Amino acid sequence: MRIATAHGYDTTMDNLNNRQAGLADLQEKLSAGKRVLRASDDPTAMAQAERAMNRIKRIETEQRMLSSQKNSIALAESNLGDSIDNLQTIRQLVLSAGNASYTASNRTSLAQQMSSLRDELFSRANAQDTNGIPLYGGLGGPDASFTDAAGGVTFNGTPGQRSSTLTSIPAALDGQSIWSSVPTGNGVIDVSLSSSNTGTVYSDSWNVVTPSSVTGDDYSISFTVSGGVTSYTVTNTTQSSTTTTGTYTSGQAIVFDGISIVPKGTPSNGDSLSLVPSTNVSLFTVLDTAINSINNASNSNVLTHALGKALAEIDAGLSRLQSGRGQAGDLLNRADLIDSNQIARTNQIQNDRSRAEDIDMVKGISDFQNQQTAYDAALKTYAQVQRLSLFTYMG
Amino acid sequence: MSGIMNVGVGALQANQIALQTIGNNIANVNTPGYSRQSAVLQTVQGQASGSGFIGKGVDVQTIVRSYDNFLTKQSALANSNASADSAKYDYLQRLQEIFQTGENGLGATVGNFFNSFADVALAPNDATARTVVMTKAAQMTQQFNFNATSLNDLKLGAVDQLSNDAATVSEMFAQVASANEQIASALSGGQVPNDLLDMRDQLIFKVNKYVQTTQVASDNGGINLFISNSQPVVLGSAYATLGVGYDEYNNTNKSKLTYSFGGSSASELNEIYLGGGEIYGLLKFQNNDLIDATNLLGRMALAISTKMNEQQALGVDPNGDAGQDIFSLPTIPDALASSNNQGTADIAVTVQTSPSGATSFKATDYVIEYNGTNWVATRSVDGTTATLTGFSTTNPVNLDGLTLTMSSNSAQSGDTFYIHPFAAIASTVSTAFSSPQGLAMASPVKASSGLSNTGTLALDSLSALSGVASQPSAVTLTFTNSGSSYTYTRSDTGSTSHTYTPGTAINYDSISTGWTVTLKGIPQTGDTYIIQPNSNTSLDAGNAQAILDMRDLTLFDGLRPLTDGYASLVAAVGVKVQSAQSAQQITTNIAASIEKQKSTVSGVNLDEEAARMLQYQQAYQAAGKMMQIAQSIFETLLQGLGR
Repeated sequence: MRIATAHGYDTTMDNLNNRQAGLADLQEKLSAGKRVLRASDDPTAMAQAERAMNRIKRIETEQRMLSSQKNSIALAESNLGDSIDNLQTIRQLVLSAGNASYTASNRTSLAQQMSSLRDELFSRANAQDTNGIPLYGGLGGPDASFTDAAGGVTFNGTPGQRSSTLTSIPAALDGQSIWSSVPTGNGVIDVSLSSSNTGTVYSDSWNVVTPSSVTGDDYSISFTVSGGVTSYTVTNTTQSSTTTTGTYTSGQAIVFDGISIVPKGTPSNGDSLSLVPSTNVSLFTVLDTAINSINNASNSNVLTHALGKALAEIDAGLSRLQSGRGQAGDLLNRADLIDSNQIARTNQIQNDRSRAEDIDMVKGISDFQNQQTAYDAALKTYAQVQRLSLFTYMG
Repeated sequence: MSGIMNVGVGALQANQIALQTIGNNIANVNTPGYSRQSAVLQTVQGQASGSGFIGKGVDVQTIVRSYDNFLTKQSALANSNASADSAKYDYLQRLQEIFQTGENGLGATVGNFFNSFADVALAPNDATARTVVMTKAAQMTQQFNFNATSLNDLKLGAVDQLSNDAATVSEMFAQVASANEQIASALSGGQVPNDLLDMRDQLIFKVNKYVQTTQVASDNGGINLFISNSQPVVLGSAYATLGVGYDEYNNTNKSKLTYSFGGSSASELNEIYLGGGEIYGLLKFQNNDLIDATNLLGRMALAISTKMNEQQALGVDPNGDAGQDIFSLPTIPDALASSNNQGTADIAVTVQTSPSGATSFKATDYVIEYNGTNWVATRSVDGTTATLTGFSTTNPVNLDGLTLTMSSNSAQSGDTFYIHPFAAIASTVSTAFSSPQGLAMASPVKASSGLSNTGTLALDSLSALSGVASQPSAVTLTFTNSGSSYTYTRSDTGSTSHTYTPGTAINYDSISTGWTVTLKGIPQTGDTYIIQPNSNTSLDAGNAQAILDMRDLTLFDGLRPLTDGYASLVAAVGVKVQSAQSAQQITTNIAASIEKQKSTVSGVNLDEEAARMLQYQQAYQAAGKMMQIAQSIFETLLQGLGR
């Protein structure tokens, strides 16, 4: 076969150009560290790498949100811890108010201490995170979750708790359930003394003995003193019917409709106790009532009754705060779990991205050297072949 | 004796001509299109005598060029295919460079825009976070604009090159026609004008680089050229003129090759019949690949901004008002009527609103044809069709997330219209306001748990489906736990009992208005949840969260989440480039291989010429020697006579 001389040159030039282009391409990829520089190099890998980049950026955003949410909840957790200490102190003061040797002025000064502690607690309930979002706003609401108005403390947020997702935890706790859900009395029944009582009857012990028999109705226990015998009548005021009657003995339980109550002291004729089902009130209402009773108790039995009720309710309040703190702790644990999951996911996506677009350096460099050798060989053979011409032997 | 002299002179002349031909070959070794020539020697008829026929020497019959008609044609055709694929590949590579990936790409910009709402969700009252969102929104629209402008630059470049090519190739048609004339007159002299033929072959080769032609030889040695399904461009000495114009819809985004022969009025050629050549490659790039890329980009811009505007309208801004559009979008152009239409119809195109069309867009143009009874839309990207049932002036129809409205109609059967909804979106989308206070980040609806709930109900998600102005009044859900199953009643539907499944959405109604709420956890009997208009929006970021959730929306062809939309766009372009690259490699290799075969026949090999040169040189020297001998014979004779 005859080879056209000009075509031979052209072909060789083309080949050399191609080799050089191949070297340049490989060099570009090696220096960028990427196997895929343009979508056409490997469209699937490029799309994979692009998607991986989106995922990683998204996880970064989610992690930033999570860290901010975690800060808020951590703040709420320590805030609740301080609040619990605060409330414990108030409880000590309530206990000490029962000291029989204390005078009314002693109790007034206790009440003042309690009042200032109560205000401190109130400011804790209105705490905000670094962004100015209330810690106890529940599902949202204004800057201040609680307002201290004439009628008592009201919750302005939206009651309810947001659930955690796979990537986030809520940044606020439900203020309603933590601060404003303290059951009155023992959680089932609340006993109060009639304000017109003249005797010293009171009760510091009542409980439910047969839960299935509890009606949820209001009752009143009225005492009649007739001829040195004190008898009682239990009236269901909701149904306006007499439930039971009997002779009163101080310290002996009266049992009716599943409820057992132990009245103490000496009632005067016409004195009464009223029993209502427990309702939920704000912790601050509990404290306000306790402070008021300590300050203004008319006699020691009234005080004892009020202190008993206050202690029961403060304990219930403490348990609300503690359960709120427990919830915060759970959320923080949850956040740590999400955090480590997200880090694991990021690593995995980074690996995917790297597999898709990064160059294997060892292979890349060895390919480069192969190409270099081939280019070198092409140059040398070209020079040698082109030296062969019949004209050099003529003349 | 004079015979010897004559034979010698003939031999000298013949070998000289042969040597000159070799010289000519050596001189033209690098001339493109040159075919190797050789002198054809023949013996001069012998002189009859009593002693038989006495040879009278040699004569040059003719000079022939080494030439293979089939290979020459094949070479031109293969080269025209290679030119088409190379032109397309070159432009596609530049197209690919527009769609950057990674941190600087449009995909990252879109992702950043959506991610920036995270800070607003954390702190709705933080003006900085809102300003960042507005900045990212502006960056996103600018990137859309920039990419669209680059696509337009590419289009202008392609159109410019097309016009130049059409002018160049028209000029070449004229040259071929004039070569035909010269060759015809040269042939009438009886000898073949090798160099003229080479020149014409080379011209035709160059013509094929621009547009593929079919060659048909005529009797007088002329070559007639035809393009695109036998449209004559050179007939003897007459020739056609090519130009560039628009299609029947006068759509400025597409180009058509126009053709006029001998001063006739220009008509458009359908490029699918062109078959090859740079013009073919450029038209395919501009009319298909560039349109596809523009549509993909425009669809992405339209879907994202429409969806964002809708979500913004569902939110409440810091002034308590419903959000205004965050992106301003151009009006979608009306359908273009074909110049071949017998009747008329005015068809306007808008984005479908109820339900929103944003998730159903297809990245394509449409041709709508009235067939006498029905309107049928054909998607240009894949050729699939959709019948627009009941389309009339009183009945607008929906098509892939778009609403078509006809305001007047006198269309005749066979009339066609062209819709290009996405062509101008990406280049003109912009942010509609710059004040961070315009962002409606609060939700118009809120959920609250009952005060005496004892179960573990927690709010998983709550989304508004209607804006602040049309939120329904409060609905209380009251739950019952029967131990084995959970049910709830709604305050707005009375005693009807519904089953509650934790984690399953509860909707206000079945037509996607009002709200949708998802609760988790186990309710106790008597637990309630209240869904009501949100009265306190200053610290609410429900709508910001909804926008963050949009990242997972399947927005493009029902397949990919929003943030991956760009990755598939890039991959689609990458696949185009990759296939164009392999097509280009294949056709270039075929062309190179045919060119090699052709050069084997027609090309000059210097070693061969050197060998032949020696051969004819020796023959020439021998002939010279013969002349010398003839002379010495003559002298011998003269001396003998002189004695």
